[in-house]
Amino acid sequence: MSGYDHRSGSESEDDDFNPEPMVDEDDVATTGNAKRKPTVVADDNDDDEEQAAPRKEDDADEEDEEEGAGDDVENDDDDDEDDEDEDEDEVVARPHKRRKKTKRNIFVDVEAEVDDEEDEEEEGDDEVAEEVHPDDLLEPTGADLDDRRHRELDMKRQVNAQKDAEQLAKELDEKYRRREMQRAQKAAAGSVPMALPTVNDPSIWGLRVRPGKEREVILAITKRIDDLNRAGQPVKIYSAFERGGGTMSGYLYVEADAKQDIIQIVETIPNVFMGQGQIAIEVKERPDLLRKRKRTPLEEGGFVRMVRPALYKGDLAKVVEVHANGLDCTVQLVPRLDYGLGEDANAANTDNKRKRGGNFGRTVDRPDQKLFNEAEAKKKHMKHLNLGGSTGQKTFTYKGDDYQNGYLIKDVRINFVTSENVKPSMEEMQFFAVTGADGTETLDLIAVQAAQKAAQSGSSFVSGDSVEIYDGEQKGIRGTTVSVTGDIVTLKVTEGELKGRRIDAPVKTLRKLFREGDHVKVIGGSKYIDEVGMVTKIKNDKITLLCDSTQAEITVFSKDLKRAADSATLGNDSDFELYDLVQIDASTVGCVIKVDREVLRVVDQNGNVRSIIHSQVSSVVGRNKNAVATDRDGSEIRNDDTVKEHGGEGRQGKVIYIHRGILFIQNRELVENGGLFVTRSTNVATMAAKSGRAQATGPDLGALNPALQPQGPNGSTMPPPRSMGRDKLIGKTVKIRSGPYKTLLGIVKDTMNDEVRIELHTKNKQISIKRTSVKVIDPITGNDMDFGGKFPNRSRGGFAGATPNHNGGRTPAWGTSSRSSNGPSWGTPSGGRTPGWGGGGGRTPGWGGDGGRTAYGGDGGRTAYGGGDGSRTAYGGDGSRTAYGGASGDGSRTAYGGATSYGGNDGSRTAYGGFNAGGRTPGGPSWGNSGSNPKPNLSAPTPASYNPPTPGGYSASTPSGYGAYSAPTPGGPLMDAPTPGNFSAPTPTDTSANNPPRGYGGYGGGYAATPAAAPTPGAWAETPWGGAPETPAPSGEDPQYE
Amino acid sequence: MSYIPTSQARHMRACMVCSIVRTYTMFMQSGCPNCDSFLELTGNADAIQDCTSQVFEGLLTVSNTSKSWVARYQRLEGYIPGIYAIQVEGILPEDAVVAAEQAGVHYIPRDGSVSEALPTEG
Repeated sequence: MSGYDHRSGSESEDDDFNPEPMVDEDDVATTGNAKRKPTVVADDNDDDEEQAAPRKEDDADEEDEEEGAGDDVENDDDDDEDDEDEDEDEVVARPHKRRKKTKRNIFVDVEAEVDDEEDEEEEGDDEVAEEVHPDDLLEPTGADLDDRRHRELDMKRQVNAQKDAEQLAKELDEKYRRREMQRAQKAAAGSVPMALPTVNDPSIWGLRVRPGKEREVILAITKRIDDLNRAGQPVKIYSAFERGGGTMSGYLYVEADAKQDIIQIVETIPNVFMGQGQIAIEVKERPDLLRKRKRTPLEEGGFVRMVRPALYKGDLAKVVEVHANGLDCTVQLVPRLDYGLGEDANAANTDNKRKRGGNFGRTVDRPDQKLFNEAEAKKKHMKHLNLGGSTGQKTFTYKGDDYQNGYLIKDVRINFVTSENVKPSMEEMQFFAVTGADGTETLDLIAVQAAQKAAQSGSSFVSGDSVEIYDGEQKGIRGTTVSVTGDIVTLKVTEGELKGRRIDAPVKTLRKLFREGDHVKVIGGSKYIDEVGMVTKIKNDKITLLCDSTQAEITVFSKDLKRAADSATLGNDSDFELYDLVQIDASTVGCVIKVDREVLRVVDQNGNVRSIIHSQVSSVVGRNKNAVATDRDGSEIRNDDTVKEHGGEGRQGKVIYIHRGILFIQNRELVENGGLFVTRSTNVATMAAKSGRAQATGPDLGALNPALQPQGPNGSTMPPPRSMGRDKLIGKTVKIRSGPYKTLLGIVKDTMNDEVRIELHTKNKQISIKRTSVKVIDPITGNDMDFGGKFPNRSRGGFAGATPNHNGGRTPAWGTSSRSSNGPSWGTPSGGRTPGWGGGGGRTPGWGGDGGRTAYGGDGGRTAYGGGDGSRTAYGGDGSRTAYGGASGDGSRTAYGGATSYGGNDGSRTAYGGFNAGGRTPGGPSWGNSGSNPKPNLSAPTPASYNPPTPGGYSASTPSGYGAYSAPTPGGPLMDAPTPGNFSAPTPTDTSANNPPRGYGGYGGGYAATPAAAPTPGAWAETPWGGAPETPAPSGEDPQYE
Repeated sequence: MSYIPTSQARHMRACMVCSIVRTYTMFMQSGCPNCDSFLELTGNADAIQDCTSQVFEGLLTVSNTSKSWVARYQRLEGYIPGIYAIQVEGILPEDAVVAAEQAGVHYIPRDGSVSEALPTEG
C-alpha cells in the first residue's frame, strides 16, 4: 500500500510517463486519479492531522484500487464476473468501475471457490457453458471423487434462496445508496448543501490588479502554481479568482492561509498592484464574491442591443433565433455598410489594421444605418455579392454576411448582445416596424419589447383576473387573483387539487387566462393600448383579438389584456389634438387632421397631406391671436374670419390659423382632409369678420383720424381702448436711462403693463425694466427718438394748454389709440406746442426746415394724420402703425403702408375729398402743383404707398413725399395760406357726402370753427412729430420736451 | 495541470458540467479531465461545441480542490486542480445531461439559473 502511495506521488508529478500507473489508469477512474493528487501533495507537506477527513476516503480508494489491481493480475476469470456484475449494476445505476471492485471485494472469497460451477449452472446453455465445456469434460472424475463441494454449493444456494428477497433488495439498496452518496459528494452534487465558509476555512484576500488584466493575472498565477508543483515545492495558496467586468473589475481574490503566502506567489506577477494593500474579505461576505449573476434570457422576437462587433455597438437588434446551446443567437440588424465607397483603393492593408488596433473599440465614422441596398453593393463590390434567396425573400450574401429583406442576419454569441436597458426609440423601431407591415406574425414587435419592460411590475394584474401559473413548480395552476402586492400576486385556486386554496405567485410566472370570444381591452405594453376587441385566437400567452374600432386583428400578450365591458376610447394618450397647428420642421408647419396612436396626418402649409409620427413634430405652434393677413382686396384677415377662395373651387370657410400669409381654413362641410384646406391669404376674399370689424374696401380714414373721433368736448366719451396688435415699443432699440443698466442699449422684446423686457446688446441677456427707464433711440444714428412712452407725466400740462376742440379730439384719440402711456405723450407735444404755436405764425416759416409738415398741418384733417404721419416719421415707421392702428382700431399692420400713403394721399384726398380712387393720385400732382415743384415727388409716393402695403414702400415714399412737401413749404410761406383754403373747401363737402370723411368734416368743422387756429393746429400737430425726431431745428426748438 | 498562454486565452472554453476552462485545442486533444468519462469530448468537435461554452464569467484557479473553500463552494471538490470558470452560460444538451446522471454526476447548471445557495443565516 505504501508503495502504491509512493508511486502515485511520483505519478502526480508526471502522469503520462510512468508506465506502471498505466495499468492502473485503465482500471481506475480518472476522477479517482485526479483526486489523489492534491492529497499526495498535501502528504508531502507532512501535515497529516489536517488531512484527516480526505485521507480516510483516500485510503478506501487505495484499498479498492489495490484490490482491483490485484484481481486483474491474479484472476482472469474475474472478467466474467465483472460482466455479470455490470449487468446487475445496470439495473440500479450505471456501474462505476471502482465501485464495482468494492463489490467484488465483498464476495471475493466465496466466489473464488465456486466460480466456474456457478457460472455454468446459472447461465446454463449460454456460450459460457460452451466455453467451459472442455472443463466439464475434464471434471467428472474430480467431481465424482469429491462431490462435497457440490453439496456445499447447493446448500449455499439454498440459503441464498431462502434469504428474503426483500432483505436482499434492502442490502443492495443500502449498498448502492451509500455509493451514490459518496459519488455525489465527490462530484460535488447539489444534494449536498453548499458549504458556507467558516473561520476554519482559508481566508480570502482581495488584491488590486490592472482592470482588464484580471484573466491574465489568473493565468499567470496558474502557471506559477504549476511551476511550484513541478518543482515539488509547496503551494500555499488554494485558489485565486476574478469576477471580470462590471463592479468587480480591477480586483482579484486569493484564498490562502496567510497573507504572506499570497505575496510570495503574486508579488512578481505583472499588473498586480501590491502597493495598494490587500483587503481581507470577511467570512460572511465570501459567498457574495462567488454569486452568479443570472442573465436575462434572450427571447426570440425580443430586442437587444449589440455589444461586440464595434461597428454595430449600441445598435438595436432583434433576436431571430436563440440557438439550442443557449450560447449563440441569430440577430436581425439594420446594416451599416458603405459598400466600399469610402475605401481608398490605394491604401495599404496594414494601415487598416493598425488603425483598428488604435481605436480601442471606439467606433469612428461608421456608416449610417440603412437597409441593404443591392444596387449600391453592386457598384463596387460585385465580387463580394452573392444572391441566395430560394424563397420569396431576397437573400444576399455580401462579404460573408447574410442579408435578408435588407436586414443583416448575423450569428453572434449571447454575450455580444445585451437585453438590459434596451429601450428602443421610436426611430429605431421604425426600421423594424417595416417588416411588421408585411406579415401578421411580426406585427407585435413593439408589444414584445414593451412587454419585456412591463414584465417587471404586477400592475397589469387586477383583482379578479383569471390567471394561470405557467412557469415554476406550481405550473399549471389556475385561479383568480385576489390581490396584488408588488410583484407577488395572491390567487385563489379554482381548479385541481388545490381548489379553494390561496397561494402567492410571482408576477413573472403568471399569465392571464382568456377564452375566445372574451371582450378584452389592451391595458399596456404595446402600441395597441386602450384598443378593445374580441378574442379570436389564443396561442400560449399570445392572444389575437379583433379590434372593435379598426376591425383589424392584433396580437398582444395576455398580460397586457384585461377583460373589458366598455367600448373603445382611443387616442387620449396623444399629445396632439385635431386641428392643432404643429411645427414639422424649421420651415414647415401643418395642421393636424387625424390623430392616430403613433401617426399624425397633417396638412402642411403647401397643402400637402402627410403622415408623420409623433416624434417628428417638434412642437405645437398654437394660435397666434395677433396674426393678421390681408386678403386680395387688402383688407385684413384674422383668425375666425370667414373667407372665400377667389377662383379655384371657391371654397369658403373659417380661418383657423394664419401662418405667414398662409391660411388654414376649416369648413365642416368639406369631406377631405377633415374639412381643412390651405390657401394663400391673397387668394381669398373676406366674407365676414368675426369681430365685426368694418370691412372697408380701403382703410377707414375717418376712423383713423383721432381728431375726428370725439364728438363732444369731453374725450371720455371715447370708446374704451381696444387692444390692438403688439406694443409699438416691441422691437425698438432703446437706451436705458436709469438703474444698474443705465446707458446700455437693447432691443425691446416684450412689454408688460409698465415694464418692458429688453435684450441687451452688450450681453445676451434679457432684463425687465420700467418703461419709464428706457428711451427709444434710432438704431442707426443712436439719436434719441421721440416716443410716447417717455413722457407720461407731462401730458396733462400740455393737454391743458391745447385748444379745447383739438384737445378733446386728439388727446383722447391718442390716449385710446394704443397704450395709455401713449396718449399722454401725444398730448404732450400738442400741449407743448400750443404755447409754442402761440408763439406765433412766425414759427411756421421757422419750421420751414420742417416745412413738409407744415404743409401737412395745413391739411387740417391732416393734423391728426399729420400726427400720425409725423409720428410715423418719428418712429421710423412703427410709430405710424400705432398711430394708424389707433385711429382706425384695425391694428392691421399690413395696412400701414396704406397709412403711409395717407400722408401722400391725404393731401390729395383732403383736397379732393376722396381717398380711394386712383384718380386721386393724379389729383396729388395737381395739389402738388399748387405747391409748385413737388409734383413728381408727390405723385411718386402716392401709388407706391397705395399699392404695396409694405413698410418698405412706405418708408421709401413717405420721406420723399415729405420732402416734396417740405420743398414747397419753405419756398412759399404762401402755401400755408392756400393750403388751408384748399382743404377747408373740399372737406366739408366730402364730409357731407360719405361717412368716412365725416370725421374730416368734423375736423374741418372744428377747423372752421377756429379758422385762425386752422393752419396752426396743422402745423402745430405736425411739427412735434416731424420736428422732434427728424429735424433738429424743431427739437431744438422744443428742448423742454426732451 | 495545463497552462494556457495569454495568447490562447481567447480560445478558452469552459466545460458546462465541471466548469473547467481549457482551450478548444486542449479539449480536442485530451477532453475534459473531470467529465470525459461520460462527455467524451476528446477528438469530438461536435461534443465540444455542445458541452463546452465560450461564454463564461469569472476565472478561478485552484491548486487544492479539497482544501479550498472556494472550490467546495463551486462544487469542484474532487476535480483536478486547474482553471475553472465561476459562471458558465449555455445549455447542456439533454443526452449529455442523461449521460452525466448515469455516470452519477448530478448536473446542476452553472449559469446561475438555478438557485443553489442556501439561506445564509439560519
